[in-house]
Amino acid sequence: MRPSLVLFLLATSCVQTTGGALVEFSATASGPADAVKGQPYQFTAATGYAVTLTRAQLFVGAVYLNQSNPANYSGETACILPGIYSGEVKGSLLVDALDPAPQPFPIKGVGTDSPTLAAELWLTAGDVNAVDDQTVILSVEGTAKKDGTAYPFSASFTIGENRRTPSSPALPGSNPICKQRIVSPIDAPFTLAQGGTLNVRVSPAGWFDSVDFSQLAPVNGHFEFFDGPSSRQPDIALYNALRAHAGPYSVSWSQP
Amino acid sequence: MLAEGLTALDSVELTLQTSRPFTLLQRPESVVHTRSCRCLLIGALFAASGASAGEVQPPKVLSRVEAQVPVGAETPTQNHVLLEFTINTEGKAVEILVIESAGRAWDEASKNALAEWVFQPALHEGVAIESRTRLTFSMPMPGDAVVDAGSDLAPEPDAGVVMIAEEIDAGHPAHEMSTLVLGRTQPRSRGSSDFHFDLGEQRIIPHPKAADFLKLAPGILLTNEGGEGHPQRIFLRGFDAREGQDIELSIDGTPINDSGNLHGNGFADTNFIISDLVEGFRVVEGPFDPRQGNYAVAGSGEYEMGLAQRGLTAKATFGTFNSQKLDLLWGPRNQSTHTFAGVELSRTDGYGQNRGAQAARVMMQYEGTLSESTTFRVAANGYATQFKTAGVIRQDDLISGRIGFYDTYDSRQGGDTQRFSVSGDLHNHEGNFTNHHQIFAIYRSSRLLENFTGFITDIQQAQQSPHDQRGDLVDRDISAMTLGAKGYGRYRGRVFDRPQELEVGYSGRFDITSGQQQRILAGPDSNTPYHKDVDLDSKLSDLGLYADVNLSLLDWLVVRGGMRADLFTYSVQNNCAVQTVRRPAVNDPPGDASCLSQRDFGIYREPTERVAATGAAFMPRASLLLGPWKSVSFTGSYGQGVRSIDPQFVNENRATPFAAIRAWEGGATFANHFRNGALDVTGRAVVFGTRVDKDLIFSETVGRNVLGGATSRIGGMLQGRVHGGFFDVSAHATYVTSRFDDTGLLVPYVPDLVTRADAAFFGELPFKLARSALNARAGIGATFVGRRALPLGQRSDVIFVTDASTELTWRFVTIGIGATNLFNTQYRESEFNYTADFHTTQPYPTLVPGRLFTAGAPREVFFTVALNVGGSAS
Repeated sequence: MRPSLVLFLLATSCVQTTGGALVEFSATASGPADAVKGQPYQFTAATGYAVTLTRAQLFVGAVYLNQSNPANYSGETACILPGIYSGEVKGSLLVDALDPAPQPFPIKGVGTDSPTLAAELWLTAGDVNAVDDQTVILSVEGTAKKDGTAYPFSASFTIGENRRTPSSPALPGSNPICKQRIVSPIDAPFTLAQGGTLNVRVSPAGWFDSVDFSQLAPVNGHFEFFDGPSSRQPDIALYNALRAHAGPYSVSWSQP
Repeated sequence: MLAEGLTALDSVELTLQTSRPFTLLQRPESVVHTRSCRCLLIGALFAASGASAGEVQPPKVLSRVEAQVPVGAETPTQNHVLLEFTINTEGKAVEILVIESAGRAWDEASKNALAEWVFQPALHEGVAIESRTRLTFSMPMPGDAVVDAGSDLAPEPDAGVVMIAEEIDAGHPAHEMSTLVLGRTQPRSRGSSDFHFDLGEQRIIPHPKAADFLKLAPGILLTNEGGEGHPQRIFLRGFDAREGQDIELSIDGTPINDSGNLHGNGFADTNFIISDLVEGFRVVEGPFDPRQGNYAVAGSGEYEMGLAQRGLTAKATFGTFNSQKLDLLWGPRNQSTHTFAGVELSRTDGYGQNRGAQAARVMMQYEGTLSESTTFRVAANGYATQFKTAGVIRQDDLISGRIGFYDTYDSRQGGDTQRFSVSGDLHNHEGNFTNHHQIFAIYRSSRLLENFTGFITDIQQAQQSPHDQRGDLVDRDISAMTLGAKGYGRYRGRVFDRPQELEVGYSGRFDITSGQQQRILAGPDSNTPYHKDVDLDSKLSDLGLYADVNLSLLDWLVVRGGMRADLFTYSVQNNCAVQTVRRPAVNDPPGDASCLSQRDFGIYREPTERVAATGAAFMPRASLLLGPWKSVSFTGSYGQGVRSIDPQFVNENRATPFAAIRAWEGGATFANHFRNGALDVTGRAVVFGTRVDKDLIFSETVGRNVLGGATSRIGGMLQGRVHGGFFDVSAHATYVTSRFDDTGLLVPYVPDLVTRADAAFFGELPFKLARSALNARAGIGATFVGRRALPLGQRSDVIFVTDASTELTWRFVTIGIGATNLFNTQYRESEFNYTADFHTTQPYPTLVPGRLFTAGAPREVFFTVALNVGGSAS
């Protein structure tokens, strides 16, 4: 045995651990800080629409935290990549995105103290790979105004059979339904610690940044987003924003 | 010197007279030895010729007694009785076997007489040791002249005691010589980490499996997460040797490790061994002996088979969980203990869920002589088993009540194994030369189904149809044929008037293996493979040569060691070489098939690929033995070892990346006898260090160990044994820290503290039953294992398990009762920290690591009834 190795062993002989730790933490979700619970939430979208939301609910099935660089797996087909996870919160929560107060997930999160880089929001109430899911993931209602025209609208989005996307015959597994349901990678540069709190902030304004309400077709004076395949810009824009990893969502960590 | 000795020492023969006392006389002129006796005498002379330190003095006869032959005995069937027996350290003849009979009455008379003899035990460096020897008694045949007792031809005190010189190990620590096998050479000690165990009375302590005997060696922990028929996982001195990948195991020289086994290269299943046929074993904790070959990274273990109880023994065992076992053991009375046959049938429902098993074992061996200097053995073994496995349990599922402690997630886990082997050897000792040559052939087949992770590893590939997790049940199947030979030649001579030895040896094995690993679709009774991970056909060879010297430099200084070289060759055909296509053709998509016949853009290619590689390893090994001074000897050893690489990781035309180990140790050994030899006391203290450049670390995703980084370990060991007239007590403790070289962090899963204590008590009860003696034995053994390091800074629970049993023998009947885990401790035999999801917390998968464990066995009580006819152990 080399002398240097002996010295190394002696120097590290007091380290009686394999490294790392398992942690348990709390998890919450909240609406934008400038919202007031029970009151409509107003903002101006990037498209110039003044939007007033009277309802904004998001169903979050689970939150997973990743320790790998998102760039390394963003191109992967698989929705689950063993070994990349540093934390998980597996209790579903219907988030009131108009309430700035932390809304606790029903169960504690667990994870490791490995550095976290990104977060995933699982927008499903069931098996992430099950095609058929009627759970309403996004429910919003409000009014958008621009150039003196008001667009009272509502949207109720599910992610199921209606969101399946075709795949190449050569690569039939390239677009599994789970990819529609997982919002990732949400920037999450922190390290979990025992007793801390993970907060998922939902900013509903981000959902409407690209929506052109004028292209919605009124029905009895009300504008309804279509829950399914659509070629209309508003439907596509809102659905894409629902699944956008930047903009509507952010996560933060509070040390105990 | 040899010729002088022949005349100075001669045989003692016993003349028996009907109706009158018989006694001994010396008949120098009538050298009526059997062939083997002549050989033995020569050996004895050699042993006696130089009794300096480091050598052994043979035993001597101090007194003998006359005996009576029962009136009316029939005429002896031949003119002599040849007995084989052990002269214990108290100078008594025990374990007397009739090798060549002259008739029952004559045999018994001879044995009864011999039992009254008093010897001066053999001495090693002034310390009494046990020795195994033979003695011929002559019978008066019709026409023979009867020589009266009290003849002037009284024997020399040491006449008649014959030994084989090669049994005598110069410089070998005395307490390791407690088992000497007549006619065969015992390996030379390689220092304080070289343990040679004679099970003796400690056999009474429950050891349900042959692997359990290894626990008598310091620093060894056995766990089993694979079920009754699954080999046990061996931890040794900070190594996770898994099922033998890092420990070379053999049975009377025939290798047990499987080369090319998909479950692990070096996988060693000792379950084919009938534990009642284990006579002893040797464990060398480190690569210090040039005889040690591939897989001797943490060390090596060799089982020595034999049957002391002669005659036909039928033993039935009934236990909790509907366990039943039937053994039929046969040891012909007139043959050595190494001639035997045994059959064992067993079944159990197992504790908890999904732990049922059934097995059949057959072992037979014959030891004979070809000439007065040559013995041979032939052996054949067969084994078949089928078993179920409970697998791992998640701690959080247990706490939440989603699963019970002894339950299972996947009842399809289990396996089956078949193993058949034949072997034969020749052992020749003539003058200063000893030759030993052995050949063996082994066929084995095994299937293991294990699910460590539930529903985690089935990653959606773009070429595959969309799917959910289909289940992680791994179905691993291998079949293999091994042909091999090994042997050595040793010259023993005198240089500078001291005994010196040179040994040159060889070993070679050729393995043809075929292995497949598939994944099985989840479902209660599903046996449908959905993916093939591996399909390999391998041809592997390992050719080894070594030279070993044993130099007695001074009275107190012996140097042993040499060089070993192994050449490994690989020829591996991968039948599933293409599993993904980066750019598939639209008109010919690869689909869900696992083994593809195309490459980019759908261009055809064969699905197979062959790789070949060769590598050589050179390993120096040396030991220094100093002393003894006041019964204390000091030793130091250094050695290098090797583990060949798994065929899965072999690359074409690249040097085979061995795992290489460097190990050292220093120790002190105490061995002495007190109270005139009535009390044997031995003790050892050892410090050791090892470094492996490619350690094996458990990977849950493949359910086996995979190559990791370099690790080093340093530790110490204490061991002691006290043996008296009615007890045999031993204990040992080992503490070791194992670390990764690059980070200094602990290596997970390996225990740092392993302690074990065993105690056996035996003797004749002070009362008789129907005028026959009652012999009782009782034993207890306890294991304590400290909190093992687990990944992510966790520590396991401690393990403290006690086993005990007792039995009573009256005439030919033995009854016994015993229990493993006597106090019914609920413990976790193996603990892990990794990611597993068994769909117990649906709908969202568990993707971060958590605690998992395999349940240790609860208390199991067993009753034994054994009948023996036609034989006796002593």
